[in-house]
Amino acid sequence: MWAMIMRRLSVSVISLALLVTLVFFMIHATPGGPAYSILGSHASPEAVAALNRQMGLDRPLLDQYGIWWDHLLEGRLGYSYIQHVGVSRLIGVYLDRTLALDLGALALAILVSLVVGLLQGYWADRLGGRIIGFLQIVFYAMPVFFTGILLIYVFSIRLDWLPPGGVGHPGWVGRLRHLTLPVLTLALPVSAGFSRYFGHQAREEYRQDYVRTARARGLSEWRIATRHVLRNAVRPFVTLVGMMIPVLFVGGVLTESVFNYPGLGWLLWRSALDQDYPTLSAITLLIGVLTILGNLVADLLNSILDVRVRYE
Amino acid sequence: MSEPARSRWGFLPLLRWGAFGRSWRAAPLVVTGLTLFLGLLAFSWLGPLVYPRSPYTIHPHALFRAPSVRHPLGTDDLGRSFLARMMYGGRPSLGVAIVGSILALLIGLAYGMASGLSPVWLDRVFMRILDAILALPTLVLMIFFAAIVPLRPLSLILLLGLLSWPGLARIVRNEVLAYKGRDYILAARQYGAGTGYLARTHLLRSMFPVVIVNATFTVADLILTLAGLSFLGLGIQPPEPSWGGLLGNGSNLAITGSWWLIFFPGFAILLAILSMNLVGQGLLNRLEGR
Repeated sequence: MWAMIMRRLSVSVISLALLVTLVFFMIHATPGGPAYSILGSHASPEAVAALNRQMGLDRPLLDQYGIWWDHLLEGRLGYSYIQHVGVSRLIGVYLDRTLALDLGALALAILVSLVVGLLQGYWADRLGGRIIGFLQIVFYAMPVFFTGILLIYVFSIRLDWLPPGGVGHPGWVGRLRHLTLPVLTLALPVSAGFSRYFGHQAREEYRQDYVRTARARGLSEWRIATRHVLRNAVRPFVTLVGMMIPVLFVGGVLTESVFNYPGLGWLLWRSALDQDYPTLSAITLLIGVLTILGNLVADLLNSILDVRVRYE
Repeated sequence: MSEPARSRWGFLPLLRWGAFGRSWRAAPLVVTGLTLFLGLLAFSWLGPLVYPRSPYTIHPHALFRAPSVRHPLGTDDLGRSFLARMMYGGRPSLGVAIVGSILALLIGLAYGMASGLSPVWLDRVFMRILDAILALPTLVLMIFFAAIVPLRPLSLILLLGLLSWPGLARIVRNEVLAYKGRDYILAARQYGAGTGYLARTHLLRSMFPVVIVNATFTVADLILTLAGLSFLGLGIQPPEPSWGGLLGNGSNLAITGSWWLIFFPGFAILLAILSMNLVGQGLLNRLEGR
C-alpha cells in the first residue's frame, strides 16, 4: 500500500519536473527570445540587448533555469507585459470562473448520466437502449466547439433566449444565464462518456439475481432502480471522475474560447494568440499541475477504495 | 486475449475489397466507418476534379450566398466557393492527422518495444517516465507549443506526432510482455534469432491487430485536436482552408445567420472523428470476440 503510494507520488513528481522543464526550454527557444515579445518585433537590437541585460536573459541558460525553479517555488509567476499586471493576480480572477464552469458541467453530467445510464441498463437489448448507445457514440465524438457554436446559433442568434458569451454583470441571475450554454456544451461529451460507463454497469446489475428476486417480491421498478441497481452501479464512481478529468479540462479550454467566457482556458488561448509568454507559460503550468494533481488524487482514492473492497 | 494468433487475424479478410457484403454482415461498424472515411478522403482529394473551382478566388458580388444550385455549399464572407474550400480544407485536416498518427505510431512502437524487451529494471524506468508523460495535459501543451513554433503543416505533424505517442507506447509494451515468453518466441531464440529480428517479425505481427485498433483511435483524436487548434487560430493558418479553421471563421460570422459556414465544416469534422471511432470500435469488438 505505502509502496504503491510512494510509486504513484514519484510519477507525479517526475511529471511536474518534466512539465516545468519543457515549458522553460520551449519559452527560451522562441525566435529572438522573450525580449522581442515584450518590445515588439521591430525593436532595435540595442533595446533588446538592454532589456535582456536588465531581465537577466543574457545569463547562461542553466542559471536562468535555476532561477526559474526558484521563482516558481516561491509562487512568483512573472509579469504579463501585454496586460500589464502580475500573472498571479490575473489567475486569481480567472480561476473561479473556470471552476464554476467545470464543476457545473461535471454536476450536470453526473445527473444526466445517472438517469440515462439507468434507462440504458433497463432497456438493455431493446430499441431504447440501442438509440441511447448510438447517441452516446455520436455525442462523444462531437467536438465541443461544434456543439457550442450550434447552441449559440440556435439559442442566441435565432431565438435570442440566452447570451452568446461573456460572463455578464455581477449577480447570480446574470451569471447563470451566461453559464447555461457553456455548461450544456461541456456537459454533453462528458455525459456521453459517463453514461456509457454507467449504462454498462447498470446493465450488468440488471442481470443479477437480486433484481429478479426483488421483482418476484413485487417491488416497483422505480424502487428497484433507485434502491438496488443505482446503489451498486455507482460504486466505481471515483474511477470515472478520474477518467473524465482530462476530458473536462481540455473541453473546458475549448468551451471557454467558443463562448468568450473569460476563464483560465480562455486566458490560455488569448495569451497564445497574443504571444504573451509569461501568462502563457504560467497558465500552461497551472493547468498542467491541476491535471497532474487531479490524476494523482483520483488514482490514490481509487486504490484506497480498492483495498477496502478487497478486504470487505 | 490468450487465444492463438489465428483468431486475432480473423478480421483481416474484411480489409479485402471483393467481399463487401459479407464483410458488412461480419463487421458492420468497421465497414460503415471505413466507407465514410474513404468517402471523406475522396471528397477532399478527388472532389476538386469534379468541381474545379478555386478555393481562393474572391467574388465581391456574391458574398454570403446560401447554398443553391449555383453555389452548392454557399459562399463565404469573401464570396469564395464554400464547396471548394471544404474540399481543399479536408486535405490538411485529414492529411496532417493521418501522417501525425503514423509518426506517433512509429515512436510508440519504438519506445514500447525498447521498454518491453529491456531488462526488468530498465523497463520500470521506461514505464515510470511514460506514466509521467501520460499525466501531462496534451491539448494544453499543444496550445502552448502552437504559440511558439511557426504553424506550417510539417511543424503541426511533428507537434501532433510528438505529443500523442505515449498511449500507443504503453499498449505496445504490454503486448511485448504478453508475447515474449511464448513458446514460438523462445523457439525462434533457440534457432539464433536476434532481438531485432524477433521484434520486427514475430512480435510486430502478433501485436498488429491491437496496434491497428489503437492507431485508428489516435487518428480520430488527432483529427479532433487539429480541428480544435485550427478553430482557435493556432493550427492551419488562413487563407489555407481547413475544416477547423472554416468552422472558426463561420462562428465569428454566426451573427450574419450564415448557418452553412458553421454546419458543413462542423459536420465534416464530426463525420471524420465518428468514422474512425466506428472502425476502431468495430475492430475492438472483433478482437474481444463480441
